[in-house]
Amino acid sequence: MSLKTLSLTRRTFGWIATSLLLSSTASIAFGQEAGTFGGTLTYLEQQPHTVLYPPAGGFYPNGGILNQITDKLTYQNPETLVIEPWIAESWEINDTYTEFTFHLRDGVTFSDGTPVDAAAVARNYDVYGLGDPTRRFPISEVLNNYQSSEVIDPLTVRFHFSAPSAGFLQGTSVIGSGLVSLATLDRAFDALGDATLIIGSGPFVVESQTTGTELVLKVREDYNWGPALHPHQGRAYLDEIRYIIVPEDGVRIGALLSGQADFVRQIQAYDEGQVTARGYQLYAPSTRGVNNQLTFRPDNDLVSDINVRRALTLATDRREIVDTLYSANYPLATSVIASTAQGYIDLSDQLEYNQEEAIALLEAAGWHLNANGRREKDGVVFELTAYESLPQPQNRAALQLISQQWDRIGITLNVLAGDAGTAVQDNLDPQRTGVGPAMVGRADPDVIKSQYYPRNRNALLQTGGVSDKVRNFHDDQLNGLLEAIAAETDPDQRLSLVADVQRYILDQSYTIPIFEEPQVFGGAPYVHGVGFEAVGRPSFYATYIQR
Amino acid sequence: MTGYLVQRIGQAVAVLWAAFTVAFILLQMMPGDAVLIRFLGSDFGLSPEQIAQLRVVYGADAPVWQQYLATLGNALFGNFGFSVVSGTPVSQEILTNLPPTLRLAGISFAVAVLLALGTALLATLPRFHWLRDLFQALPGLMISVPVFWLAIVLIQIFSFKLGWVSVINPGPVERMILPIIAIAVPISAPLAQILIRNIDQVSTSGFVPVARAKGASRSFAILRHVIPNALLPTLTIAGVLFGELVAGAVVTETVFGLNGLGRLAERSVRFQDAAVLQAVVLIAAAGFVIVNLIVDLLYPILDPRLRAGRRLPA
Repeated sequence: MSLKTLSLTRRTFGWIATSLLLSSTASIAFGQEAGTFGGTLTYLEQQPHTVLYPPAGGFYPNGGILNQITDKLTYQNPETLVIEPWIAESWEINDTYTEFTFHLRDGVTFSDGTPVDAAAVARNYDVYGLGDPTRRFPISEVLNNYQSSEVIDPLTVRFHFSAPSAGFLQGTSVIGSGLVSLATLDRAFDALGDATLIIGSGPFVVESQTTGTELVLKVREDYNWGPALHPHQGRAYLDEIRYIIVPEDGVRIGALLSGQADFVRQIQAYDEGQVTARGYQLYAPSTRGVNNQLTFRPDNDLVSDINVRRALTLATDRREIVDTLYSANYPLATSVIASTAQGYIDLSDQLEYNQEEAIALLEAAGWHLNANGRREKDGVVFELTAYESLPQPQNRAALQLISQQWDRIGITLNVLAGDAGTAVQDNLDPQRTGVGPAMVGRADPDVIKSQYYPRNRNALLQTGGVSDKVRNFHDDQLNGLLEAIAAETDPDQRLSLVADVQRYILDQSYTIPIFEEPQVFGGAPYVHGVGFEAVGRPSFYATYIQR
Repeated sequence: MTGYLVQRIGQAVAVLWAAFTVAFILLQMMPGDAVLIRFLGSDFGLSPEQIAQLRVVYGADAPVWQQYLATLGNALFGNFGFSVVSGTPVSQEILTNLPPTLRLAGISFAVAVLLALGTALLATLPRFHWLRDLFQALPGLMISVPVFWLAIVLIQIFSFKLGWVSVINPGPVERMILPIIAIAVPISAPLAQILIRNIDQVSTSGFVPVARAKGASRSFAILRHVIPNALLPTLTIAGVLFGELVAGAVVTETVFGLNGLGRLAERSVRFQDAAVLQAVVLIAAAGFVIVNLIVDLLYPILDPRLRAGRRLPA
């Protein structure tokens, strides 16, 4: 029993006493059961993370890590979607939504000890808003019309925009706007593959990583600047979070149920029963964005006719898809965006299944059955191709089921897996892929613009996007509406524009929404207090283990 | 011998260069590239100008011959560039992932040889004739067991049901047990078959009865005379087995969530990470070259008939 062990024991004892004191005061303050400090959460992820540059946080594995290691200027309450103070204690916005001023909380530091001050925040937003070609940092898709930053004093920063940017305030709360230290931004994008170089101010810090297999986060003892209105304050309960990559679905679930892991991501609908039957907890937060859907590329001659698109929409039995392949956690889509998204309107009457009407529309459009029972017009046989989207749950099976449904009315849909390169290239070519799966999550009215605007994700493949294979399709009326959403400053007006876009897209039969995509996780019964931010990425700030 | 070695090493370098070049050409011919996949296929939502800019920065738009010379030149100095997927230097990816795969493959190979020897020796005993009959009647028994299926079954039984070994956060030894079994079993089967057949053939050769007549016990005759001679032809399929080992590593590493070259290759293929694939192809080619060289050098040592200065064609 050396002196060192003795002092350690005393320190531990002191720490237990402090934590007891802390938790009792916390429970008095918030009138809720306090968690237990300590322990390791073993989290199984399906795919390895890529570069943890915050704007790349849309990729699920990245978001699940970034959410624990970075803080944002503001916090979007996942229940009310209201924007609350976090690193910014308060803010002012000018009347035209071109100037946003934030007053920062004092005493916040990155894990390398440098302050989270106006200079650091300004630098973060300059990189996210303008990109950094020399270091290869891409622009963040949530910042529209960003012009410049201005440091007013050490704790006040102002951002200038070249055009009204109503979505910016919410944009400061998303994973993609996580704040990182200047040391991180001084490196090249390519050099950030090592996650330990991503230095944030969040409740956890990256301690180590083994590329492609494992990543360990350690709690930050001195963390004391969680979102102002969050029920939990101070340091996180857990000591450590261990992310382990287990690509095999069966192994992830088996490990959870046999007590080798505490929390796992990506449980397929057909495996949900295994988890709940054993008293384990399923979590299925909504991604609150553009629904999982099959989108038309009207530049392709086969689907350039609105009546043909309408017919294919009518021929798609969405209910059968959801009932056959998915579970109650995957609600049937009733519009272009999820019912939990902002500005949602119910358009389910536009999305009914009616095979007779579909056939009638095709006949009227001149597509008649040939000798082989396929639809043909002027010697052209109606045949479309789609590539499966790997990140979307059971996407191949869903496409195959749609293919069977269309087959009943004489339309062929080929479903291809393809290698990544071929899929990406063909998906840029509307002649090769007349339809394609799509979805995107973000809890802001801007999300619908992200999906369809040619200079963003360009789901309909209009001219003016990344693809040089589009001949001439573009829809100025739609693009005008999308631009208006991004620029509109009156909140109610913005939501009514979102409603207009949903109506317009379904009136034009541009897309077939299938279901509202959740993120499905499984957790052991002794894991408590798991939170999810507005688009279904987990937050382990208030998570604790109590057996 | 030195002249022979120099000649063999020259051949090896030529093979490596050819592998490198063919891999480069094939990767160039594939549609799309890692930059497109990475920035268009992931959740960046970049504009056309930004994608174009990234392509210039990554050198994806330079003429092919320029890219080839640059890649080859850098590779000669051990610089394989960056992985577009993980953003880490390729050399670092290889250093992280090569040792575990070598360890797994090496131990699995040793276990497979022991398994095969044990099975073959058992099969020579009169009491275990049924074993020999089984192996001869069912040539495909263990060979046709898919590694993938075997790995999942092993995990389900020994880890999830019985809880004997942990798959998540296992200890350094624990993490190897099931993967080794999953790789060794399918590999040991062809080895055992060849051994049994060879033992039969050698046992009927004249020198075995001679040795017995000189007073050697049955087991001594088998161990001293039969086995060394029976082992020789098994060496020839070592190269083929090396391929099996590599393929087995890809599957087991993915199922068991181990890090290693197999999983790195699988990921890189999925995302067309050309820089990493170039390095992986080089390493695999080097592996084959080295294995074949070792086999050729071992032959004369094991078989006195080959020491008369006659060279086997490479």
